[in-house]
Amino acid sequence: MDTIGGLLQGFDVALTWSNLTMCFVGVFLGTVIGVLPGLGPPATIAMLLPLTLKLEPTGAMIMLAGIYYGAKYGGSTTSILLNVPGESASVVTCLDGYQMARKGRAGPALGMAAIASFVAGTFGVIALMLVAPPLARLSLAFSAPEYFALMVLGLTMVVLLSGESLTKGLLSMLLGLWIASMGTDLFTATSRFTFGQTALLGGIDFVIVAIGIFAIGEVLANMEPHSAPEMLPVPKGLRNLLPTWEDMKACRFAFLNGSLVGFIVGILPGAGSTIASFLSYGIEKAVSKHPEQFGHGAIEGVAAPEGANNAETGGALVPLLTLGIPGSGTTAVLLAALILWGFKPGPLFIQESPTLFWGLVASMYIGNVMLLVLNLPLVAVFAQLLKMPAFAMYPMILGVSLVGVYSDSSSIFELGLLAIFGLLGYGMRKLDFPNAPLVLGLVLGDAMEKALRQSLMMSQGHVSILFRPIPAVLLAVAAVLLIVPLFKKFNAMRVQVLDQEAP
Amino acid sequence: MNTFVRKGDFWSGLAMAALGAYVVSQALRWDYMGEDGPGAGFFPLWYGGLMIVLSLLLVLGAVLKSDPSAASRRINWPELRRVGACWGAFVACIALLQPLGFILSFGLMTWFLVSVLFRKPQKVAIPTAVISPLGFYAVFAWALGISLPTGALF
Amino acid sequence: MNLKKMLCAVAGAALVSVGAAHAQWKPTKTVDVIVHTGPGGGSDLLARAIATLMEKEKLLPVRMQVINKPGGNGAVAAAAVSERKDDPNTLALVTSVWIAGPLTSSEAKVALTDLKPIACLVFDPAVFVVRTDSPYKTLKEFIEAAKANPGQLKQSGGSVTSRDNIVRQQLQHATGARWAFVSFPGGGERLAALLGGHVDMMVIEPQEAGEQVRAGKLRVLARLSENPLPGYPNVPTLKEAGYDITPTPQIRAVMAPPQMPAEAAAYWEDRFAKLHASPSWKKYLEENQLDDHFTNSAELGKLIKQIEDELRTQYQAAGVKVVR
Repeated sequence: MDTIGGLLQGFDVALTWSNLTMCFVGVFLGTVIGVLPGLGPPATIAMLLPLTLKLEPTGAMIMLAGIYYGAKYGGSTTSILLNVPGESASVVTCLDGYQMARKGRAGPALGMAAIASFVAGTFGVIALMLVAPPLARLSLAFSAPEYFALMVLGLTMVVLLSGESLTKGLLSMLLGLWIASMGTDLFTATSRFTFGQTALLGGIDFVIVAIGIFAIGEVLANMEPHSAPEMLPVPKGLRNLLPTWEDMKACRFAFLNGSLVGFIVGILPGAGSTIASFLSYGIEKAVSKHPEQFGHGAIEGVAAPEGANNAETGGALVPLLTLGIPGSGTTAVLLAALILWGFKPGPLFIQESPTLFWGLVASMYIGNVMLLVLNLPLVAVFAQLLKMPAFAMYPMILGVSLVGVYSDSSSIFELGLLAIFGLLGYGMRKLDFPNAPLVLGLVLGDAMEKALRQSLMMSQGHVSILFRPIPAVLLAVAAVLLIVPLFKKFNAMRVQVLDQEAP
Repeated sequence: MNTFVRKGDFWSGLAMAALGAYVVSQALRWDYMGEDGPGAGFFPLWYGGLMIVLSLLLVLGAVLKSDPSAASRRINWPELRRVGACWGAFVACIALLQPLGFILSFGLMTWFLVSVLFRKPQKVAIPTAVISPLGFYAVFAWALGISLPTGALF
Repeated sequence: MNLKKMLCAVAGAALVSVGAAHAQWKPTKTVDVIVHTGPGGGSDLLARAIATLMEKEKLLPVRMQVINKPGGNGAVAAAAVSERKDDPNTLALVTSVWIAGPLTSSEAKVALTDLKPIACLVFDPAVFVVRTDSPYKTLKEFIEAAKANPGQLKQSGGSVTSRDNIVRQQLQHATGARWAFVSFPGGGERLAALLGGHVDMMVIEPQEAGEQVRAGKLRVLARLSENPLPGYPNVPTLKEAGYDITPTPQIRAVMAPPQMPAEAAAYWEDRFAKLHASPSWKKYLEENQLDDHFTNSAELGKLIKQIEDELRTQYQAAGVKVVR
């Protein structure tokens, strides 16, 4: 396949006025949707589908794709400023992003999120363009045993996210696992932990838990009578509104990390951007020279996950465009859109519809640039949001959370769940239970259980299936990640004992 | 003996142990191993069990660790009251969404938070309580077309 | 003479007015069509298509809009429809999931038999596929191989209560063969598992398989459909392949709240019959490879009961706990 030729052809298509407009509309809408918690790309794209039928297919596809990756840019904004995850993948950004905002570094955090998103997003597009078909084969090699190992690796991140008390971190994760198992079991149709409620049959939506624990919990925790409700310090001056050169240098590895991890996780159908962002955060922390800063405002802790969730977009398009297999909710809707317009996504897609494929790829480059240009000045705008006094902002956070959850499902029951998780978030804060492991358990636990049972179904009960090449490697890495800190602790204890014995 | 009772770890550990016990009891009611692989009870049994073990560890740690500051740490009732009031207002807002509609219930909640919890004077509270829901309505319902609950009034 | 004439006139006027009253019920506000999937899901897309086609064929004086009530495997949507008791402006687009759900979960409080049938529209067809590089060229070869190696061959599919598994149960029961079933929640993952060589066979919708077959990656062994599938000529049904099994159909039908007034229900039945007769509907079915199976409300009611009984039997045979 003539890549350069194809790309030139693609730019030819993408650089028409109408397609540029579609691109802009898409990324702009995407950013707005990303900022609003609860409203996500799948629902929006589905709602826009009928409208797009009236438009020219290539342009419409460019716009919808713009919404898809634009939302990833926007998702970091509320995470950093309000500790409200704009969408599930932005939860990890809350960890360090919000802490940076509390220290007056909201500007650099927002800016770095945009820059990392741009770098990784572009990387994702380049990779999509160069290696899509061979990678498709890699994505097929991944099935349940590989996913299981990947999830186990993800869960070992809890060790890195637990802060001081590993016990509490693990308990938090187990709580997440429990919440994840609520609902109807896929394999046996048994209802688990539904307390007789119809609405719980489908399980609890991740967004409700995340917004409840992070946002509502935060508002409740800030209701302290003695401290004058302090606003987050507003960064003054342009220099403080953007990341410094030191910041950029510190994040060099994070850019690479986010791009690679995000893209690779993206090509696996079923593994989502949340997993990508957790994994890259964990890896970043594991290789960092100052891991104790993570969770307290390390800028790499923003760059890595934000990069990952953008590179994941490029990765997720690989199985969609080369095999016709949708890997997530959003790509499933995009698939429906392609079919609706008469395209045939499948192994023959790139050959048969090169204009659409290359036009799309070219528009993604342009889209990423547009988003960077859009988002950087917005940093200044959003930073001003922090000037809002607490008494206005906190009710607003509650309101945004309400609307976000309600817009998804119009269910009062789910709003009630939101309130319960808010209380849980507050309780966890007061009792020093870390939040991140709960989210980790919630997202990964369910997937891990399914993967394990699928694997054992495939092998008819033989556990050896879990030790095929890829899973074996991943499990070994997970084991190392678990054992090394324990080893260090053991060593430290040993040194302590020796010290005490020596006179 | 009283020093550890005050410790959050002790109580949260007990609560988690209770949850773990509940999970295990439910898991035992389901199949551990099905014909095609692990059943519905497999995972819950394991993580429930792990929950019990870890939470008892937590309780033990709370009992054994001597923490001199714990004795003097009392439960901060005023703070808890504020948190409870805030949460109660939130829940009330949710409960009132269908009868009263979004604008009214959100407005009421905002007013309560601003005037009671933040203790701002009425001349600040009331405008905020009016502008905020209207602003929400303008942005979400009108501009973005997301339907907000409309109650008996609006 | 005058009295007789007058009586005739009065009787005539009465008849006309009664007839007119019957013919006069029309929806006056936007009609809600409730589906159990989120936006972009199968039922959602079909409902939106119905709304568009109704408008195109000018069959309704008002708009139709789709209301998504996902959650609880259809239980939330079923409860929502039931709550609208006698609303003549509410319809639901249902699938067999609405029958299956209440059979296995006690939390699902509304069964499909509690709602009012209007019309059945289509059946969802499916095909049995294997990879092109697999040694099985017919369904018989696959089943014989499974018989010879019990539990070694694998099928990817949906949940244990899905049609994929039910037809597997039926085949296993009839032939004595045994093969494993691996559940994946998403269609993409199931297909990926087959293409990647992790499983040997799957039952898939013809639309999803279309491109893979065209690219030469998948081979079709048999079909589950009443009418021949365009694009898959020469593919045998189960009976033609030598297995005398009637697969339980996956229906897509229109239902109404339990107490919808008779005249409104009759109106809707008539509208859907007209939609079915229209050329744009036929075109839609062909483009989307849906199996035409239109029935009226009475037939639909019987069909639902029949499916419910069949599913109950199959679930019990498969070891799934049945609560109703």
